[in-house]
Amino acid sequence: MIETLRISLAKFAGDAGFVSLLRRAVALAGAELPALQSVKIGENGRLDGAGSAISALGDEAAVAITAHLLALLVVFVGEPLTLRLLSESRPDTQITFKHPEADQ
Amino acid sequence: MSAQGPETPHDRVKIKQLPTGVQGLDEILGGGLPEYSFNIIAGAPGCGKTTLAHQIMFTNATPERPALYFTVLGEPAIKMLRYQQQYTFFDQSYLDGAIRFINLSQLVLDQDLGAVLDAIVKEVEASNAGLVVVDSFRTVVRKAHAGASEVELQGFVQRLALNLTSWQATTFLIGEYVEGELRDNPVFTVADGLFWLYQSIERNSIVRKMQVMKLRGQESVPGLHTFRITAGGLQAFPRTFGLTDNKSVHVKGLRRISTGVRELDALMGGGIPEGDSLLVAGPSGAGKTVLGIQFIAEGLERGEPGIVAMFEELPNEFMQRAASFGFDLDKNLKDGSLKLIYLRPLDLSVDETVHEIVNTVKEIGCKRLVIDSLVGFEMALAPDFRTDFRESLYRMIGALTRRGVTIISTVEVEENFTSMGLSNFTISFLADDIVRMRYASINGQLRKIMMVVKMRRSQHSIDMYSYAVTAKGLAIGEPMRGYRGLTSGIPGPWSLESPSPPAAADRNDPNG
Repeated sequence: MIETLRISLAKFAGDAGFVSLLRRAVALAGAELPALQSVKIGENGRLDGAGSAISALGDEAAVAITAHLLALLVVFVGEPLTLRLLSESRPDTQITFKHPEADQ
Repeated sequence: MSAQGPETPHDRVKIKQLPTGVQGLDEILGGGLPEYSFNIIAGAPGCGKTTLAHQIMFTNATPERPALYFTVLGEPAIKMLRYQQQYTFFDQSYLDGAIRFINLSQLVLDQDLGAVLDAIVKEVEASNAGLVVVDSFRTVVRKAHAGASEVELQGFVQRLALNLTSWQATTFLIGEYVEGELRDNPVFTVADGLFWLYQSIERNSIVRKMQVMKLRGQESVPGLHTFRITAGGLQAFPRTFGLTDNKSVHVKGLRRISTGVRELDALMGGGIPEGDSLLVAGPSGAGKTVLGIQFIAEGLERGEPGIVAMFEELPNEFMQRAASFGFDLDKNLKDGSLKLIYLRPLDLSVDETVHEIVNTVKEIGCKRLVIDSLVGFEMALAPDFRTDFRESLYRMIGALTRRGVTIISTVEVEENFTSMGLSNFTISFLADDIVRMRYASINGQLRKIMMVVKMRRSQHSIDMYSYAVTAKGLAIGEPMRGYRGLTSGIPGPWSLESPSPPAAADRNDPNG
């Protein structure tokens, strides 16, 4: 998912734009999963050292990073535009945001 | 929510606005600082850039999202702390973790822009900073020009903006710029907000103004806004005077209110239309202030709070004068239904003065305002502010009358005996209605005559009346019939050969 997002986001924000967002997302995820604090991000946005962290944590690490990345996108460009970007990266998938408050 | 479906305004990203901590500035910015924006505070040395950045920091920094203040060859941090702590907003407890100062001077001297960028980003990431200030960024740029191309500089600024914004930091670059540098400057191109501070010194006064030259994503108030640097830091005076909401737009003239002089009310067609601005023009001693006193006293009697903004008399002199005409306004002063605004002369800015008036209007729910006098008001301003006088007055009168405040402004006219000007200022455009007082030499006496020159939207008397200032106020006498040349001040008898003067019952065109 992160790789799919990288390709899609780098198209309009550039590699540097994606990397800067990913660094923030990893830092925020690292607050929840300390193992991610050792993850380094390459200039092209690939996660160096993520393999060991992610394999140690399973899908949890990828989900945490992706969630924070998407949350950051929502903060900066809003939910509808984030959904559009996601739809472009996964045209065959129906994507919606689930709001926790809607379940209550 | 799916990606499909029509877009509504609610779907757009909501940009949170941060308070600046500077009174009046949030209004100028259109609500506050856009969160995560990348901004420049520019201006000449000494105009308040560092103080503004500190106020913003102390207002927004928290231990969880601290503010980082990077100093670069500008004011040494120790000196800065020494002076900034004199301001009341400076809270030393913030230095325990909410605000950190980091010196990059040596790095800038020894290394390239890439190292500077890395150092800033590293500190921001390590501290989870929510606010970043670089002071002075101009120094960084100078260094860049010495050893790097313009493209490298643009790349540096762009990467800095990208990293700090992605890190959810709101950034301020402080720089000593002059306006000529605005063009083609890569720093200004990348910035979301560009705030320019100006100051000019004339004789004994310092005139400070600020302008929002650029602010992405929200509607700021255009133009130059006066500000002052006080013990509490910067205080701004928006050109909108805090009256930007349209909650209670008053329709002028729905009812007439009394001037306090019944006969004058009759000449005006039933009094002043509520929400009008009446200009009373006349020479010294004609009774303009007396009319103002009667207007205010009449309103207080009817439960309408009033304000007198005075620039010539002191408040106790005004109260004594009111008492001498039989108006005991002490109780109104005590219960707050009457406010006397006396503004110290010689170093005022017009917007600052207007803010004082507008704030008092809002505070007491003022219905009647007397400005005594416009000449004194202008004279009380710092010389450099006088050019703004008419424009600021126009905005204030417009804003207040739209709220239903009825205003009498007095203006002294230098009398001559060959013509009758309305005032020595081009200010009649400020008035819905105009009453002119003047002296006329008749039969060896200097008589007072009064006329209603203009009533917007309504009919009024076209007669000139004699009047006197008595112990109870203005007393309107008889129409001045049988004279010619009254407006010159040296009338003569209306000769038998001349056409008859118009009948007293004639009324002019309301819009004439």
